[in-house]
Amino acid sequence: MSEKVLLIDDEKDFLEVMSERMQNRDIDVTTASSAREALALVEKESYDAIILDLQMPEMDGLQALERLKAINPELQVILLTGHATVEKGVQAMKLGATDVLEKPADIQTLTEKIHKAHARKIILVEKENEEKIRAILGSKAW
Amino acid sequence: MSTVAGTPSEQGIEFFGRMTASISHEIKNALAIVNENAGLLGDLALLMDKGRPLSPERLTTLAGNIRRQVQRADDIIRRLNRFAHSAHEPAASVDLGEVLAFTLALAERLATMKGITLSLAAGEPVTVEVRPFVLENLLWLCLEQLFAAAGSGATITLAAEAEGGSALVRLSCSAGTEVAAVATGVEEGAGRPLLAELRARLGVAPAGGELLLHLPVRRIG
Repeated sequence: MSEKVLLIDDEKDFLEVMSERMQNRDIDVTTASSAREALALVEKESYDAIILDLQMPEMDGLQALERLKAINPELQVILLTGHATVEKGVQAMKLGATDVLEKPADIQTLTEKIHKAHARKIILVEKENEEKIRAILGSKAW
Repeated sequence: MSTVAGTPSEQGIEFFGRMTASISHEIKNALAIVNENAGLLGDLALLMDKGRPLSPERLTTLAGNIRRQVQRADDIIRRLNRFAHSAHEPAASVDLGEVLAFTLALAERLATMKGITLSLAAGEPVTVEVRPFVLENLLWLCLEQLFAAAGSGATITLAAEAEGGSALVRLSCSAGTEVAAVATGVEEGAGRPLLAELRARLGVAPAGGELLLHLPVRRIG
């Protein structure tokens, strides 16, 4: 099953070429050129992983990460940045980022991180389903 | 940015760090696009090996993308080089409009991050005798505070003009912007030593929305 990924970056040339490379690797990619556009998409759609640029106009990556996590705490967000300071990286992880990668990134490494994010999401969904089933079983008088 | 008045050299280091951090980010973005286009060429070669056709137009487009980003990175590095040299340049007669244009180019990415548009109004050439780096630093401090005062969506326009025996820089935003607070913030904060070195003063246009930087045309001593 191919991963469903949302790629967020204000550099349109980057979005274009990166999404084509991901598609060549059987990844189902949607792109957003602003955090606002991404937030609207996340409200409507479910994604296995989100690749988010740390520095964007108006709403930066960390603010966007906070907002994304508020919509769905289980979202797997990988931060991609040209400005990876240790401080920002730590801040991102504290806010719930799955991983932080520096630009220019190696597509192989990024793809592996997407696979891992997808696997983590499956585990979280299965755990959630299990809890729901337990709750249903516990509430019924068999 | 520090709000405590320091010496021009302390301010200079802070300004230099801020600008070079922003420039390095811009270069990284250009390199990332070059990297992905080069990677895509590799992907397409592998796919062609497996039988997928590849048109010459596709290759031309990708080569054009790479060339454009190399040009972009080259422009950024030229700007960085000019900025680096300006840090040790002594006082000289410079065209004020050129210093404004260069400062806007340095600040453009940081302005965009705040949702602000910067523009330069055309005007008559005005020559001033300054250390360009000190003037760029002072202009940046004014712009940075104006970004916060004007808010996202604003446009800030810079203009240079002669004012009797001195020179004037107008930093215009929308009428409602609290430019008086900006002037006070710069004068009483990090801008104080820079204003003293340039023997410049800040003011506010009576109509509002405009910060005025009065500069002497010649240095004394």
